[in-house]
This record gives sequence, structure tokens and C-alpha cells, in this order.
Amino acid sequence: MLVAKNIHFCIQSRPIVYNADLNLEPGQMTALIGPNGAGKSTLLKILSGDIACQHGQILYNGMAIKYLSSQELARIRAVMPQHSQLSFPFKVFEVVELGLLSLSVRNPQKIVKEVMEETQTWQLKDKLYAQLSGGEKQRVQLSRVLAQIWADADTPRYLLLDEPTSSLDIAHQHQVLHIASKLKKKNIGVLAVLHDLNMAAAYADHIVMLKNGNIFQSGPAAQVMTSENLFHVFEHPIEVHQSISYHGTYIQSLPINRKNVSIKIA
Amino acid sequence: MLVKSYISPKINSRNLILLGLSCILVLLGLISLSFGAFPITFTKVIQVVTGYYWGEEIVSIQDRNVLLQIRLPRIILAVLAGGALGLSGAALQGLFRNPLVEPGLIGVSSGSALFAVAYIVFGSSWTVFATLGKIGLAFFAFLGGLLNTFLVYRLSSSAGKTDISLLILAGVALNALAGALIGLAIFYADDAALRNFTFWSLGDVGGASWDKVIVLGALSVLPIGLVLGQHQALNALAIGESEAFHMGVFVQKTKIIILIGSALMVGTSVAFTGIIGFVGLVIPHLLRIIFGADHKLILPASWLAGAVLLTLADLLARTMVAPSEMPIGIIAAIIGAPFFIWLLLNIKQVRY
Repeated sequence: MLVAKNIHFCIQSRPIVYNADLNLEPGQMTALIGPNGAGKSTLLKILSGDIACQHGQILYNGMAIKYLSSQELARIRAVMPQHSQLSFPFKVFEVVELGLLSLSVRNPQKIVKEVMEETQTWQLKDKLYAQLSGGEKQRVQLSRVLAQIWADADTPRYLLLDEPTSSLDIAHQHQVLHIASKLKKKNIGVLAVLHDLNMAAAYADHIVMLKNGNIFQSGPAAQVMTSENLFHVFEHPIEVHQSISYHGTYIQSLPINRKNVSIKIA
Repeated sequence: MLVKSYISPKINSRNLILLGLSCILVLLGLISLSFGAFPITFTKVIQVVTGYYWGEEIVSIQDRNVLLQIRLPRIILAVLAGGALGLSGAALQGLFRNPLVEPGLIGVSSGSALFAVAYIVFGSSWTVFATLGKIGLAFFAFLGGLLNTFLVYRLSSSAGKTDISLLILAGVALNALAGALIGLAIFYADDAALRNFTFWSLGDVGGASWDKVIVLGALSVLPIGLVLGQHQALNALAIGESEAFHMGVFVQKTKIIILIGSALMVGTSVAFTGIIGFVGLVIPHLLRIIFGADHKLILPASWLAGAVLLTLADLLARTMVAPSEMPIGIIAAIIGAPFFIWLLLNIKQVRY
């Protein structure tokens, strides 16, 4: 289990993340939602070990993060940042191969092929990374991250995704979140920062709502995703419908010019 | 640890490229041995180098001395200096994640030059330094290079990202400062030190001797090995510093190895050959455009190609105006600068 206890992080004495507790269990997908500047990316960076929290601790499978080397950490958690820029003319398969850097796997070819087929990037393998479109780049980066935790292992592993669907078309958004939820079977816990509330409700088992650096609500998707909670977090009228014809939960944000109407309804 | 490349022809083509470059270097070295103010036929060169003597041409003692005491050490010095500049250029570009970085541009060379000058000018008056001799010169140049590398890195980086405009500005500022301080040192130099300095500042490999070659060679072996070993980390760093950390690279260690290794290689080269520009910039660029970006190939290939370029430049420097000589730095810049201009004009077509 990935445990974050009492996390606290300030930049110039302004708290970005304040007193956050988080448990990420293998076999579960957690979505982190919240408005811009709520501290989602900072929390993710603290969890991945990029930055050290000033108070509190992070435990990976019971081991404190500060005692794990970068290599040991790479074997149990993979991270996909929001933007990755490549500074040299690498080919696509070379980028994906890099995911296997710290691992000693027997059949690297097979893993690279499998993850690239999974993300539908195998046909791009001999292209130059710089020539890809934004969405293709994001899927290639996802392949690289997946390669890192693709091989079966007994130890629980974790995947941290920062807005993995930000530049993808609707079909690929579903594709990516489907892949992420399939990873649950591999003894992997997934944490994804998501902006699309419908996607979060449809794919995540667990929702964490972040506001002003505080965890406002955390729990199973069906319990936490309510109009009241979402209104409080985003300060914008949002309607949540439960319906079979919507295939589960359907969340709609209302246009600003109808705000008054919606508040009356609520 | 090692990720085997899953396309096996890639491994073969890499070995083939490196083998090809090595062959070019050896061949060029042998050709270079036979040309010069005192021409020696190619068959004689082969005889002296291999140690087997055959045929009717008699290898005189004069031939042997010219080859072994004058030409061979200067060619090896050119090879070592060119290799150091090429390799450190490639490694620094990878580390700074920017294809425009070069030991000369970011101030490594000028820092080394400043400390070397200080050693030449003031060193003779201190007996401690006088006994150290050439090793002391190399060590001082290394310190200067390291100091400037560290300063430039600190000035231009914040939160693990290197700002390229700050980097260039810091490099320009440090180059200007080093130039001014060199001028100041010369102002205070006595006649003997001034003569020493003038010879050194000509920036060529003409004054090569076996003890210089041995010092440079001995000081180069370790950093070359260490920097070559960073190829995977540099590949990962191309995606980003935090990404490299996520993939298990100990980023801080890589930084230290490359900064110290480059300062050591370039510093000792500068100490013996003066500042030679553009090799470190042009060579890695050329190789990336032709062979792609994998540092596993680019790092060793940069060493070999840098050595080839400087050997060629040395050959031209010795033969074009024979029996006189041109400084090798001039030839390297004459080849390098137009290429760089061409690169700037065509940067949109280059694969970035």
C-alpha cells in the first residue's frame, strides 16, 4: 500500500498541500480531482518523490520513501508527468525502451511491443518523436511509463498519472483510462489526476477531492460525487444524475448564464 | 541493469559505425605521420610504427626521431584533445538538455585558460609549483574549468531546469571575466613568463612531447570511461530531469560525473593545447543528424570524430604553409564556424 501521512508542503510559507492523508491500495484506481491550483500536481510530486514534504511521511509498501534509492523506487512506481519535452531526435521505440532502464527483464522486446500495441502506438515506432502530434506524444509517454511496471511481479506497484488524457481525443481518453483500470489486475494501484468528472466517475473506484491544499472529501466514487460536494470544491453549479440510461453516473456542469436558474433548482 | 536493444541490427550498425570511425582515425593518423615539413614515405611510417623492417628503403635515425619524438606525440595529443572536446561537448549537451552547449561557449575552456595562465605567470615564482611541472599546470586548468562549469550551472539552473538564455549570458559573462583576468595576469608577468605564455596561447599541438601526452592520457582515461558509462542516464535525461528520476536514474550522480569529467578532460587539454573552439559543438551535432540521438552511440562516436577532426586540422595546419605552421585552433575554427553558420541557417530542417 502507498500511504501518505500528514503531508505538508509550503512554497515561501504559502501552504500548497496542507495536512493531507492518502492511502493508495494496489488493485484500486483513485482519481484526484479539484480546481486549478488546488495542489493536485504538488501532491503527486510529493508522492512520486520529486519533492520532499516538509512534514509527514510517504510509505511505499511500508518503506519510507527517503530510504528508497531512485532505482528501487523506479521498480515499484511509475510516473507520467503532464508535459514531457524531448531535447534530442529520438525515435519512438527508443523513448519507450527507456522505461525499462532500471529493470532487469528477460524479454524487453516483448514488453515494448505489448505496451505499444496496448496504447496503439506500435505503428509509430520508427518515427521521430518530435514529428508526432500532441496526442500521439502523450500515448508514447504512457507506453514508456507502462513499460516500467508491465512485467508481472509479486510486490504491489503504483502508477501515478498527472492528467493523462489532457490532449487526447474522446476515444483515446477512454482507451487510456481503460488501460489504467486493467492494470489493477496486475497488482498495481493507480492514482490519476483528472479534470473530466464523468471520466473520473466512470473509471475510478475511489475519488479524492482536493481544495486549497486540503483533502475535502475522499471515498468511493458513488458516495463522494454529489452536487453539493462538487459545488463546494469547484464553486460552480454541477448536477449529478444517477440513471441507467446514462450508464451510471452522469455529471453536468451548467453554463454561467443559467447559474441563477440552477441554484434555484438545487 | 542493461536494457538490451530489441532491434539487433541497431547493435550491429552501432559497432560498425564505431569501427568505421576508428579505422578512419588510425588511417588518418598514419597518413598524418608521413606528411609534414620533413616528408617520410608511407612505407617507412608503417615500418617504424609496426617495428618490422623490410624493403630497400633504409629508415634513418633522423626518420625515426622525427616520427617518434616529434610527430607521433603531437598526433596523439591532437587525438586526445579532440576526443576530449568531442566527448565532453556531447555529454554537456545531453546534461544541459540543449544542443547548443559547448565547452567553449559555457566557459569551461576560458576558466581552464585563466587558471593555466595564472599558473604559467605566477607559478614559476613559487617553488612548490615549479616542482609540480606539467601535472600542476593540468591540475590548475582542471580547477579553473570545474569552477566555471559549476558557476555557469548554478547561475542558469533553477529547480532542476536550465534556462538557455541565462546559460549563454552566464557563459558570455564568465568568458569576458576570464579574458580580462588573463589580460591582467599578463600585465603583471615578467619576461620569462610572458614568453611561456605566448607559446602556450598560440593554441596548437606543436609543442607536443611524450611527457605531455602521458599526463593528458593518464588524466583522460578515467573521465572518458566514467562519462561513456552515463549513456543511459543521458538518454533518460533527454526526456526530462524528473522523468529520469522516475525511471530510476540517480540524476545528481550523473551531473557530478559529467561536470567533473568534462572539466578534467577539457581542462587538461586546454592546459597543453590552448583553447580550441567549435569541435565540441560541431561534432555531436553532425553525428546526431546522421545517426540519431542514442547516447550509447553518440558519446563514443563523438570522441572518435572529435579526434579525427583535430588530427585532420593538425595535418592541414602543418602542411598548408610548410615549413611554417598554423595554430590548430585557427584551422578547427575555419572548418567549424562555417558549419555552425550552415547549421543555424538550416535549423528548421535539422531533426529537432
